Amino acid sequence: MTLVEEAPSAGTAGTGFRTVAARAKAWAETDPGHIAFREKDYGIWQEYTWAESWELIELAAHGLLEFGVEVGDRVSIHSEDRPEWVILDLAAVAVRGIAVGFYPTNPMAEVEYLLNDSGACVHMAEDQEQADKVFEMDQAQIPDVRKIIYCEARGFAGFDDSRLIYWDDFLEVGRKHREANPGAVAARMAAAEADDVMTLVYTSGTTGPPKGAMLTNANADFAMGRIIEETDAYPDGKAPNKSDQILTYLPLCHVAERIFSTWTMLSGGPTLNFAESIETVAVNLREVQPTLFFAVPRIWERLHAGVLIRGSDASRFKKFVLSTGMKAATYIGQAKVDNGGKHTAVSRVLHSVFYPLLFRAMLERIGLRHCRRASSGAAPIAPEVLQFFMGLGLDVYELYGMTENSAVATCNYPGRLKLGTVGEPYPGTGLRIDDETGEIQSQHAGVFKGYWNKPEKTAETFTADGWLRTGDVGEWVDGTHVKIVDRMKDIIITSGGKNISPSEIENSLKASPMIKEAMVIGDQRKYLTALIGIELDTVGNWALRRNIPYTTYRDLTEKPEVEQAIQKIVDETNEKFARVEQIKKFRMLPKELDHEDGELTATQKLKRSAMSAQFDELIEEMY
Amino acid sequence: MFRRPNLYTSYEAENQIFPTWTQRGLAALAIIILLLMPFDVPVISQIPIVRFLGDSNWLRPVATMFIILVGALGFNLLAGVAGQVSLGHAFFMGAGAYTAAFLGGEGTDAVYGLGLPIWIWLPGAGVGAALVGMIIAPVAVKLRGLYLAIVTLGLVFIGIHMGNTSWGKKFAGDPGLGRSFPTFDIRLWKEEEPLLLMDDDSKWLWFEVSDSQKTYFFTLVIAIIALLVAKNLARSKTGRALQAIRDRDIAAEVMGVSEFRYKLIAFAVSSFFAGVSGAMFASLAGKLPAIQWNLFLSVEFVAIILIGGAGTVAGTVMGTVFVILLPLMIEELTIWLSEQIDQGGLFSPVANFLLTEGPDDFGPISIATQTPGWPLNVFDWNIALYGLLIIVFLIFEPLGLYGIWISIRNYWKGWPFSY
Repeated sequence: MTLVEEAPSAGTAGTGFRTVAARAKAWAETDPGHIAFREKDYGIWQEYTWAESWELIELAAHGLLEFGVEVGDRVSIHSEDRPEWVILDLAAVAVRGIAVGFYPTNPMAEVEYLLNDSGACVHMAEDQEQADKVFEMDQAQIPDVRKIIYCEARGFAGFDDSRLIYWDDFLEVGRKHREANPGAVAARMAAAEADDVMTLVYTSGTTGPPKGAMLTNANADFAMGRIIEETDAYPDGKAPNKSDQILTYLPLCHVAERIFSTWTMLSGGPTLNFAESIETVAVNLREVQPTLFFAVPRIWERLHAGVLIRGSDASRFKKFVLSTGMKAATYIGQAKVDNGGKHTAVSRVLHSVFYPLLFRAMLERIGLRHCRRASSGAAPIAPEVLQFFMGLGLDVYELYGMTENSAVATCNYPGRLKLGTVGEPYPGTGLRIDDETGEIQSQHAGVFKGYWNKPEKTAETFTADGWLRTGDVGEWVDGTHVKIVDRMKDIIITSGGKNISPSEIENSLKASPMIKEAMVIGDQRKYLTALIGIELDTVGNWALRRNIPYTTYRDLTEKPEVEQAIQKIVDETNEKFARVEQIKKFRMLPKELDHEDGELTATQKLKRSAMSAQFDELIEEMY
Repeated sequence: MFRRPNLYTSYEAENQIFPTWTQRGLAALAIIILLLMPFDVPVISQIPIVRFLGDSNWLRPVATMFIILVGALGFNLLAGVAGQVSLGHAFFMGAGAYTAAFLGGEGTDAVYGLGLPIWIWLPGAGVGAALVGMIIAPVAVKLRGLYLAIVTLGLVFIGIHMGNTSWGKKFAGDPGLGRSFPTFDIRLWKEEEPLLLMDDDSKWLWFEVSDSQKTYFFTLVIAIIALLVAKNLARSKTGRALQAIRDRDIAAEVMGVSEFRYKLIAFAVSSFFAGVSGAMFASLAGKLPAIQWNLFLSVEFVAIILIGGAGTVAGTVMGTVFVILLPLMIEELTIWLSEQIDQGGLFSPVANFLLTEGPDDFGPISIATQTPGWPLNVFDWNIALYGLLIIVFLIFEPLGLYGIWISIRNYWKGWPFSY
């Protein structure tokens, strides 16, 4: 069955759109004293008001003009999340340039590829580590890069390169330019067109090299309208507003974090709180207690594991209370799942008893006590994890989208939630599932302009009738909700001819706190096997408490006790699946997977082909 | 920030004495209760502890407790915050007391005394003691730990001896009876009619205020001021520097903390507190001999901060309350027990077991004032108990009463986890 939700309209393109830079300026004018960012520095959350932030953005924009950034020129940003990231991003849009974000984990070779592919003329390298990646290249290899801005001065004293400029000096350049040409940035902003490309978002590239998806001002405007401003999606019916707090911690070069932090801030005025680093997210969450929270499955899994582990380490009385509470939470979670995310009478009573005693404190410890909307996306997540949080009283709404359609595809709505699905298509957007291949296809004003400099790849991404091919296989649930089966190219066809979705099995395995990575293998094979990577922290802790001595990661994975524990998890997982979908054998990965070794993408997704090649021997052993 | 107690946007916010509105409310409530405690106000006078301490017989011990608290805060600053083990605190208190006596006392043929008003002699007592403290400070730069303790111990004996010399007697008076000290009366200068007479009953606002209630209020106000000063000093740059010296003096100096300068500050400020405390202590007592500023008084301060929790202002308060009121409560208990025996009350078997009333009676507590050996009387028991408590706390709860409070608080702070 092909279901076309609605013929896509031309969207808001061309009519009354606002660029992100224009939105920032509007905030500075209407609400100059409101806090735009907080960044933790020297142990204190330093605040930037909108007036201060816009001043910085304007100076940066003038600085870019001084560096000769013309309409359509690329400005690349290679940094962890920090105010300068957002400031430069918005400054680039203000001068009608194109902001390109790199992942902080990108190794030198990828940086070189990205710099050349995008042709960036101004590059921001956060600190010496990132700048070194550029300096390792011959200047002739990256001829377009004219200026390199750095934010952390430490370690730069010895460098002598005319391209280098410190952030403060860069702003000073902007200040001089502004004195000489007062209205230059404003003039550029006024000339902005809906069809201007505002950013290149490089896809993670599980197969080939990363491709730069071009998103226009109109795309961004449309995405904000659908994903952020629809009040239906918020349990309390209120769109993001000035009292909301957001923790920014996922890489801003990813479209999801851009939408759920910077664009949300620009749309409704919440304050962005920059986490110190990915390691401190748990601490920062507790401090900030965000009201709007988006996380990828890996983060949800870690939060879930954290609760389980800390619970098992608690004192006797606390453990008793916790285990009672967890039984109640399991019941509540199940009741809510069966009831579309709404409470039943019994679950509501249970909730009102356990929330003040236990759940509120647990959410406070996690840092999500004041969270009024939590969502998960960017990768499939195990339903068990979501159900756990629903039991505690934190409904997590799974949503679905991809870079190429500005992340606008489907979303679960409060009261109509279906666990295991990614929700319903946003109103006014086109979404269909192809009859033959089962591929999900999408068409609306948020669909991207194409891949940067890759017209042939762009053409491949669209169907003959102009719909965007997502590459995901999906199916309708009850005619309204979409369930993702898997990535099209990841689907396993066993030698028996059965189609199996590996990610569902993998996620079920990863729901255990002990398992960090799982890769199911079985294409053209008689049965399924898996490569499993353990979570060093939790398994290490587990081993410690059982007096199992170990030295390294590899040593730990080879302990028979660990293998037995993993076998138990695999057996439990197998019970949930049909016979052909059961894992017959597994091997432990001898090392932690890493982006730099080419096993993971920048967004920590498995590169299956690279994995198969690297661990070929392990795989062959199992057959 | 509202609803986000851990989101600090400034160092000031991070260092607040009462960071949350709940704590501010509780502090305000505590002050109101303390102010109304001596009066028979409905509701408040029904609170169990208030009902007990608010009794007019208890006002004087409580006032003494406030005075000792001032000295203990000073001692905590020196020994707890800056880590300088001193046994000379009684000496500094004595120095303050005799400065006060010299400035504010009645001059006679036998003793000096300028008869100046309280606003001169009370701060003057602090300054006098601080000056003495600053003379001792350089020694602390040279010596640490046990050696410093021995040197300061020597001070106590030197002080008592000086009080017995012929010129010392000019300050300290007769070695047996001591001299009379200035009273708390508030005068502008040396006029006959004081602005505020402390030892009579009068009417303030709509309350009838007795002399002991006035003393109670006066000492309460001084104690609160001392608390604020001590707390603010501990959380300031100076306080952090003192803690750095305590934790590792060499490391502190490497980081730019001048050891000499901050040890000087620690001794000066600590002695200032001791001096004020000593002057008030003497004033409340009326007449004291020099032998009163002895080692036992110093050890009392050591007990206070070890039992309360060294290095914390809250712990010092807890320790003072505990150490000063405990003996009094034991005394009260003994009296109550002997009453039980006399009246044949419900607890008379217990009382009979504990008390020794005659030569043939068995029991660890004697009600006689002079006892040659076993059984001990209440006073001896108190001294033994100090020692016992110091040993018990050092072994089982080095952070003192404050540490017990912290572990209770952390239990609930981590709820429902353990960390």
